[in-house]
Amino acid sequence: MNTQAKIKEKSKTQIKVITGNGAAAIAAKLARPDVVAAYPITPQTEIIEQISKFHANGEMDCELITVEGENSAMNAVMAASLAGGRVFTATSSWGLAFMYDAVLATAGARAPVVMVNVNRETPGIIAVSSGQQDMISTRDSGWIFLIAEDCQEVMDVVLQAYRLAEDFDIQVPVMVHYDGFYLSYLSEGVDIPFQEDVDTFLSVLKDQPERTKLIPGGKMGCGSHGILGGYLELRHKHMSAMERAKDKFDLIDREFETIFGRSYGGQVEEYRMEDADVVLVGSGSMCGTIKTVIDKKREQGIKVGLLKMRMYRPFPSEALIASLKGKKAIGVVDRSLAFGFKGGPIYTELKAFETQLEGSKMISFLDGIANTDITTANVGQMIDTICDLAAGKEVREVTWVCYPEAHEALPKTGGQ
Amino acid sequence: MAEIKKVKPTKILDHFVHEDPFSKGVAFCPGCALELLLRLIPRVLGNDIVITGTPSCSAPVLLGQNNQSWHTLSYFGTLMTGAAANATGLARYYRKAGIDNTVVCFNGDGTAADIGFGNLSGAAERNEPFIYICYDNEGYMNTGIQKSGTTPYGATTTTTPKGSIHKGKNLRRMNLALKMAMHKIPYAATATLSDLDDLAKKLKKAKEAKERGFAFLHVLAPCTTGWGHKPEDTIEVCRRAVNTNYFPLWEAVDGKIRMTKTVKKPKPLSTYTELSKKFAHMTKEDMQILQDDVDYEFCILGGLSVLDGECQLPVSAED
Repeated sequence: MNTQAKIKEKSKTQIKVITGNGAAAIAAKLARPDVVAAYPITPQTEIIEQISKFHANGEMDCELITVEGENSAMNAVMAASLAGGRVFTATSSWGLAFMYDAVLATAGARAPVVMVNVNRETPGIIAVSSGQQDMISTRDSGWIFLIAEDCQEVMDVVLQAYRLAEDFDIQVPVMVHYDGFYLSYLSEGVDIPFQEDVDTFLSVLKDQPERTKLIPGGKMGCGSHGILGGYLELRHKHMSAMERAKDKFDLIDREFETIFGRSYGGQVEEYRMEDADVVLVGSGSMCGTIKTVIDKKREQGIKVGLLKMRMYRPFPSEALIASLKGKKAIGVVDRSLAFGFKGGPIYTELKAFETQLEGSKMISFLDGIANTDITTANVGQMIDTICDLAAGKEVREVTWVCYPEAHEALPKTGGQ
Repeated sequence: MAEIKKVKPTKILDHFVHEDPFSKGVAFCPGCALELLLRLIPRVLGNDIVITGTPSCSAPVLLGQNNQSWHTLSYFGTLMTGAAANATGLARYYRKAGIDNTVVCFNGDGTAADIGFGNLSGAAERNEPFIYICYDNEGYMNTGIQKSGTTPYGATTTTTPKGSIHKGKNLRRMNLALKMAMHKIPYAATATLSDLDDLAKKLKKAKEAKERGFAFLHVLAPCTTGWGHKPEDTIEVCRRAVNTNYFPLWEAVDGKIRMTKTVKKPKPLSTYTELSKKFAHMTKEDMQILQDDVDYEFCILGGLSVLDGECQLPVSAED
């Protein structure tokens, strides 16, 4: 039976209206983890509440560890993972900061942990609000970072994350990010995969060579000192695995489509990019709004497209360059700050590839920070600015879209 | 060649039935109590334990270097902040997968009493099925002898030095073992290296108890380098710690506290402190404060141990 026929045969779907957190919890259940450890934090709490309910009702056959803090959540799942288990945990912002040493250790140990991080502003200023600052603050931790746009993608990317993290050629922990408040509590229709299909999708891992496991009497150690060449060897292997993760994620996304009928493009999703002159680069929940505005701008004859980053670590440079090369002007929307740089973090990183983009001009937009809504008006303004840049007009290199007061003090620097 | 006579093992040696999995020469100081303890644990519990260790004095030997190791045990190098959580993850996965296991979470007092106490307490509250052993050398010895929560009153360390104004630690030590016993765990006990029969029995009891949940062992492990006693005096320091009630030997089985060694006529505390340079500067008044602290802790312990039978810990709830 070919793929199309398989998809057609699956006329039955189970679409339910659930929150982003609900989608994450159900995805975790469908992945059948051996050990789940988590600690409550806004806006993630609903995930562990739902998992606890699944566990209490016998729907989820896992060891559930209700730890006394996020640091222990990460430490527990890291160890369980290295012992050979499939694991899940979830956190946000301050919780991610509190587990930071364990986040680094998990990556260094190459423990294939899957964690959901519901994006929220970080400690420094108390802000119970959305923003990707937590993600940015851990970007060099050695984890793979994936970002979801809506509740359906939350569900799907958590499942994809298991395939990526536990793949024998990868064995790197994966963090799935989605915008707190906007997606965590948003209810929308989600096609919930059938258990048997998820089992099929994940069964590929069972056919791979077994990863090294720490078992009693196994005479094996985890966490030795890495000294000189020993340290460098492990770091270099980790870096190589990060590179392999790019194509692997594309492949996993295509395989996902054959079973579930949905695909997102792998590392990046292109929206109306083919003939686009100007482009917005974004990530997460803002992309839905951006797509809506792009449709309207297209009606006005403006050739604008969206490049959505689904993978942030490893930085999908090849995919970005292939998609953005030769575009007249690019605006990057960041929902976080890179202290010490004027532009946003993703903008700043993309700037490193400026020469390979063959003349594309780039500007930075800061929007959506601390729960400021990235409205259709804001996106419209951004597209207009990018068009001005493409037309050779002088525009700001960095625009605080969510805080125009910033520009009363900052000089114009020009984007050309 | 003379025939080697088969000597009947003494009662103490009967406990040490398994091989010593450690290399003969390892990177510990001469007279290190930690080394002796570390070698004894697998000899009593078996070589199929999974042992965890933190960055600490134990790290150079317990954790390997690159792909080499000083021993043949399965081990896991933890963070000081999350040692008990790491052990939790291991034990829980083994339980889920149906793998027989004895996870030994082996930590110094810096991890157990200070930076890792939160997750130690959390693991005990959840009654996690593993053995937690604290080797207490009363300070951060691996980083060069700094004060910890279990450093006793008056003792000098590099962060509580003898100066013209302050003379050693001006705070009392915390009683980690009693705190752990108050967690309603199946087993908590103190032990030290002068009483090996007692230590070995407690290791075995801890192994039995971990079938019911969390087992905690607090072992006084004098540090010749950090305390300033002679390497050959390590065991004598342990013995005098017990005989002065500075470190009483007791256990709490399912909440019932009892002394495992009763010292009929406790020796003056000075017989213990005189062996270690860290107490050498202390005035009579300072010694009295330390003596009062030791008496206070022993009084609480005595009070709790006479309650034997009156306060019964309910059968632990299994999740």
